[in-house]
Amino acid sequence: MRPLDENETTVVFEKIFKFVGNNLKNIVENPSHEGPESDPGRYCFRLQKNRVYYASESLPGLPRDLHREVHPRGSFHLTIMSLNLLAANAKHKVWLKPTSEMSFLYGNHVLKGGLGRITDSIVPGDGVVVFSMSDVPLGFGIAAKSTQDCRKLDPNGIVVLHQADIESI
Amino acid sequence: MGKSRRKDKVIPPPQLPPEVREEEIEFSDEDVKYVEENKEYARFVSRIDTTAINRQCVGEPKTVEDKYEEERSKKKGHEEERESNEIQVDPVDVLPIKDLDGKLHYRTVTKKSKLAEADPEEAEEDVLEDEHILNKSQRRAKAKKSKKEAKKQEKEVPKEEIIQEEETPQAAVLAEVKEELSAEETFENKKNRLAELGIQLLSDPEANIRSLKEMLDISKDENAKIVKLCLLSVLAVFKDIIPGYRIRLPTEKELEMKVSKEVKKTRFYESTLLKAYKSYLQKLMAFERQSEYNQVANRCICTLLDAKPHFNYRDNLLSAVVRNISSPDEVVRRLCCSTVRSLFSNEGKHGGELTVQAVRLIADQVKSQNCQLHPNSIEVFMSIRFDEDIGKRDREEANKKKFKKNDKRNNQEEQNQVQENERKKSKREMMSKIRDEVNADYKGVTYEPDAMERLKMQTTYFRILRKTMYSIGESSTEEEDTTLNPGAFGPHPLLAPCLDGLAKFTQQLDLDYIGDLMNYLKKLAPSSSVSTNSKKKNSKLLTVSERLRCCLVAFKVMRSNLNALNVDLQDFFVQLYNLLLEYRPGRDSGEVLAESLKIMLCDDRHQDMQKAAAFVKRLSTFALCFGCAESMSALVTVKNLLQRNVKCRNLLENDAGGGSVSGSIAKYQPYATDPNLSGAFASVLWELNLLTKHYHPAISTMAGSISNMNTSQNQTFLCSDPQQAFADYSLVKESFEPKNESRKLSNKRKRESGGEEGKDVPEIDMGELRKKLKENFTILRGIKEDESVRMELEFKKKKKPTKKQSNVAKKKPKSPKSKKKI
Repeated sequence: MRPLDENETTVVFEKIFKFVGNNLKNIVENPSHEGPESDPGRYCFRLQKNRVYYASESLPGLPRDLHREVHPRGSFHLTIMSLNLLAANAKHKVWLKPTSEMSFLYGNHVLKGGLGRITDSIVPGDGVVVFSMSDVPLGFGIAAKSTQDCRKLDPNGIVVLHQADIESI
Repeated sequence: MGKSRRKDKVIPPPQLPPEVREEEIEFSDEDVKYVEENKEYARFVSRIDTTAINRQCVGEPKTVEDKYEEERSKKKGHEEERESNEIQVDPVDVLPIKDLDGKLHYRTVTKKSKLAEADPEEAEEDVLEDEHILNKSQRRAKAKKSKKEAKKQEKEVPKEEIIQEEETPQAAVLAEVKEELSAEETFENKKNRLAELGIQLLSDPEANIRSLKEMLDISKDENAKIVKLCLLSVLAVFKDIIPGYRIRLPTEKELEMKVSKEVKKTRFYESTLLKAYKSYLQKLMAFERQSEYNQVANRCICTLLDAKPHFNYRDNLLSAVVRNISSPDEVVRRLCCSTVRSLFSNEGKHGGELTVQAVRLIADQVKSQNCQLHPNSIEVFMSIRFDEDIGKRDREEANKKKFKKNDKRNNQEEQNQVQENERKKSKREMMSKIRDEVNADYKGVTYEPDAMERLKMQTTYFRILRKTMYSIGESSTEEEDTTLNPGAFGPHPLLAPCLDGLAKFTQQLDLDYIGDLMNYLKKLAPSSSVSTNSKKKNSKLLTVSERLRCCLVAFKVMRSNLNALNVDLQDFFVQLYNLLLEYRPGRDSGEVLAESLKIMLCDDRHQDMQKAAAFVKRLSTFALCFGCAESMSALVTVKNLLQRNVKCRNLLENDAGGGSVSGSIAKYQPYATDPNLSGAFASVLWELNLLTKHYHPAISTMAGSISNMNTSQNQTFLCSDPQQAFADYSLVKESFEPKNESRKLSNKRKRESGGEEGKDVPEIDMGELRKKLKENFTILRGIKEDESVRMELEFKKKKKPTKKQSNVAKKKPKSPKSKKKI
């Protein structure tokens, strides 16, 4: 287990930034409320066996939180385990209608007809967290269209490209 | 009508009865009775000078009328006669009296006597027959602050007739007399002259059209009052004379044609009228520039435009009015604004063309003045009527045309169109053919503004809005404050009415435009994530009310476009969240806040849980800080949110950790800028507990009911509108008996300053306070008195033995207490 080096850190942060935007600093600087010590340190990223863990500093031995996967070639993928963290800090959210929840959980992309709500100012290529109408995070994906374009889309157009959902846990 | 007839014809002398000798005349009893009953009327018979009559019957017609006049005047009594003499200042209207000897007495004599009297208070102008004119002249007189007495003189009638005939012979006399008269007399002369000309014109415009010129000549006078009077009187005349159609001067061809007398007459009349009108307008324009006559000229222009918007030269009038729409002079500005408003609402008079033009002119002015205009100038747009279904038929044509009309100023700006719906389009195409025919007929009949025109107008209107928004957005994002010089109206005067207009007409906005609009609004109402630029000065940021309005507009626009997509406006929620912290009741408008609460939070169908909880928490804290109205609206919103989002009721439970819903944030951040990251679920609504002890009964009951929401069986929805709650409670005085009158008022009047509510609080509280303080101070005084007495006694008792001292000491404290109890 070692801390990430610079390249890796930039890659990780970039990826997370897509989903979280400026709330990245919240993730990085979030005071930890885990652990026995009364004066906890912060969360940090640690690398082990090609996986990045988001752990509390006070507990270097016990990676508490979610991890991401580092591909051997150096690119970085977010796995579903990071959903909790992402959902709390997500910039762009999409809510699904009850009817299309199952479709998403089976791995299909999100169609416009299945959209309940969508946050404004989404740019294509942004990371988007998918929620159900009752605010349960279902997964995440990449936006295919901007919010403006979404309006003009026909009901069968793809809005969010599916990346990961909680079905796979 | 009788007058005219008499003017034209020369009245022949009446036929005398056949000559009967006096001796031969026999009187019947009836005759005698009759004469005795009506002695007054019969008096004249005795006074008849038969020789004079004989002479007159053969002689000039003048004299007979003279006689008539004389006798009539005698009939009505001396006083009136004298009055008429005194009234008649101008020799032109004065009749020469012919007495029984046959001498002609010019009325100059009486004038001199009048001079001697030096009584300027005699009625001059109101010697008018026509009541209508009477009122106008009165108005004129009053408006120019001249002292006059209102008297009605019907005897003007006969004099009027004779004026025409006696004008020329009197001209010489006129010249004589003028030299003798003082300045005041000339003044009154002229007024009279004006009045007469006015009456003539109104009674028979066609015949007297030349008098217009004379009236206009009077305006070249030096005396300011006369000029003003003249302008106003000409205005009154024109208002009535101008026909209901636009005069088109005959072309050369037409002039060459042979026409009947009637047509010639009409033509002549029309051309003279038009010429006079033109010169009048030119004068008005010239006068408008002079500060002395500015108000009068403007009033004339506005009234003309208002009354006859279909007539020639209306474009010039309109441009003059629009120019003044932002004048620093409040009277002028109000006049112009009301004129424009009436133009907009009474489109039937001018067929909509003027509306388009007016909008265009205002747009140009906004552009030229760089948005430094008075807000009133844009507020006039609120009275424009928009039809939603305009140009359904002509939609495709409109599209093509609009692509040509691109805004040169900003290439990004997209076309404005009335909102389209795909389904409607197909339907429309089907029905268009049928409609074409029908509409063509319809158009020919009615005076309805053309659909194309209306579309143009609407596009111009939105163009103005866009320009202002853009310029304001530009200025607020610039780093240096060079271009933005806050003019007389403050840095962003037009923003508020601009936003109001947008909010009102959201139905008309195109989808493309909405995207642009949203961007501008985001720039204007920066949320924390955007305005990280520390170089921005605080003065650039808009006031809280303006920012609230931006959020409001954004939401209204979104709401009206729900059929397309349900978009969640994250940034604006953040903005609202922060604005709640910045709100101050005196400075910022409470209604805008209440409205924004209503629209953004209560009406929204679905809320993000975290966000809702954050708002609930912040609003309840907010309710603690401010007066009754704001608290009430906040609490109503809280109740709404809690009723809708069941999960948020965790806040009511004493579950400090937040349970499973809280997410990663363990502690509540009260000053967080983003509602989603505030960790509201980790908190509890302890404020409600405090609010149940609020001094106002309504608030305490509301807080109590919210606290019991989880456990209560029935969940009734009372007072579910924060805006209404605000309005209700802002006027209710804080006594414990709410007054019914103020409630009714508050429902009608929406524009109530929240500051008023703030004023109420100390007033009533003072009453209560005073009572309590009074009691308190009496008690304190009592205590002090008792203490001083005790001190004295103790002092005295020191000299005496101890036993008595203790007894006395014991008794003393009791007595003041007993006093207290009273």
